[in-house]
Amino acid sequence: MAADDVPLWPDLPPQEPSRRWRLGRLALPPRRPSRRPVNPALRKAVAGAVLIAYSWFAAGAVPFSRNALLIVLLPGAALAVIACLRPPKRIPPPDRLDLAGFSYWAVAVGALFEWEASAFKDGAPRWHPALTTLIDPALGSRPLKAAGILIWLFAGWALVRR
Amino acid sequence: MVTRVITIIGFAALILALFVLEFLARRKDSRIPTLGEWLGYVMRPKAGRLLILLGWLWLGWHYFSR
Repeated sequence: MAADDVPLWPDLPPQEPSRRWRLGRLALPPRRPSRRPVNPALRKAVAGAVLIAYSWFAAGAVPFSRNALLIVLLPGAALAVIACLRPPKRIPPPDRLDLAGFSYWAVAVGALFEWEASAFKDGAPRWHPALTTLIDPALGSRPLKAAGILIWLFAGWALVRR
Repeated sequence: MVTRVITIIGFAALILALFVLEFLARRKDSRIPTLGEWLGYVMRPKAGRLLILLGWLWLGWHYFSR
């Protein structure tokens, strides 16, 4: 049987690399368009309600307890999973940063850290309290603590999108 | 008591300065980057992204877990 007689396989259509390992990392299969598109406003409202409920529940955790640790670790783990497996559409960062403009931020943030560190170093006495010492009484109120947790959750989501 | 008040005023002034900077950064043709812009720039390398996200996690633990 001559080599010319061997039937050739039909040309297969070019296959794109598996999405699961595209870009060298594990990713979920692409989302299929839903048959019934969910109203984005409704989706945001539901997500907002879930986050508010979570914040309220989390604000009720007793400090220094296992639950208090879990209410922080859970959103952290959730955001890590989202960031790795199904990252949201990111807001592109600037190509360059104006150094003079950024220096204002560096001075302000550095001064805040220094102010806090100097209080912390002294053991946050009454005559030089740390920011934590000042905020703690406010966090004793459940609505305020829930609001703080909600802001923290939104900040985490904003960071994942960056 | 006076030093306590000075400390609190210092914290308030520095936090206010951050809000003022964000306001100034959002003006048209401002050279000052917004908080999101410079954080995005810092988070371009993976190490920066990891550090910022760990900082966020630490803030949550420090204020809400303890």
